[in-house]
Amino acid sequence: MNKPDDTFGRQVKATFDKSVDKLDAATLSRLNRGRHEALAELQRPRRQWSHWVPATGVAAAVLVAVMVLQSPTAVDDFPDAANVTDMEILLGEDSIEMLEDLEFYSWIDSADVVSDVG
Amino acid sequence: MDVSTAVFAVSCSGTPINGTRALQKERQLNQFLAEVERRALRIAEIGVRDRDEALDLVQDAMIKLVRSYSDRGREEWAPLFYRILQNGVRDWHRRQAVRNRVMVWFGKKPSDDNDYDAIASAPDPIGRAPDEELSNTEAMERLDSAVHDLPARQREAFMLRMFEGLDVAGTAVAMGCSEGSVKTHYSRAIHALREQLEEHRPEGHGSQEGKR
Repeated sequence: MNKPDDTFGRQVKATFDKSVDKLDAATLSRLNRGRHEALAELQRPRRQWSHWVPATGVAAAVLVAVMVLQSPTAVDDFPDAANVTDMEILLGEDSIEMLEDLEFYSWIDSADVVSDVG
Repeated sequence: MDVSTAVFAVSCSGTPINGTRALQKERQLNQFLAEVERRALRIAEIGVRDRDEALDLVQDAMIKLVRSYSDRGREEWAPLFYRILQNGVRDWHRRQAVRNRVMVWFGKKPSDDNDYDAIASAPDPIGRAPDEELSNTEAMERLDSAVHDLPARQREAFMLRMFEGLDVAGTAVAMGCSEGSVKTHYSRAIHALREQLEEHRPEGHGSQEGKR
């Protein structure tokens, strides 16, 4: 079958093949070395760490489980401590007195400004 | 390989295999890789426009094929090998894009792969007339540039089908897409390349051909 792009394809392929044939000796040597290094992989047993993957997964799951089981205590402790601190502030006598005297402090502040100007 | 290594060779699955079988497998792999390595290098080189990087990519693909797929049938090696290689080329482009963004951030000029000079990287002429050599080198440079400038998927489909000679099914495996996509990418690549390279074609292989 003579497809319309047969000639074009043949020319393109021929140009590519020429470029392959023209590869220099140094490049061919590196390819050869790379191939032999790749083939050396056949002599190596599969990486042993792959056998540890399931064990590592189990260990990680156990760790997560422990953290989850422990976390309610930690979560409960935090609000308690925060609540105590907040309550101390809110119920402190000084704070409430200051809130009651806000008008007074505001008047002193404005008075100071007036006296400074005067 | 010495006798003891051959007899007690260990396969990639970790189980001891027969020494003769191991030798046969090694011989088959060696033959396969020797057959494809030079075309693979040129295909990778057109993809990344750098011979050293292409050599590294081809070697990585060889190692990954041997490490992961040596137990597969020989007929599966070519699509798998080129799939690994194409993934490597894509990863290389992603890394380059990130590197260029970082260089722009630090105010440096990003590397431009158009600086690649196919003539400079071509080997010295061996036994060819200067005119012929120049013509060949120019044709190669034009072809490299035109193929490199194709969209990535078209480039992959074109090089695997045209340069490596994979069939549609093999190309689909290598590209990780459907056979229909391969046909579409390949057809568009041919159309684009014909338009781009037509004017440089020798007299007599005229532009009328495509109109028939």
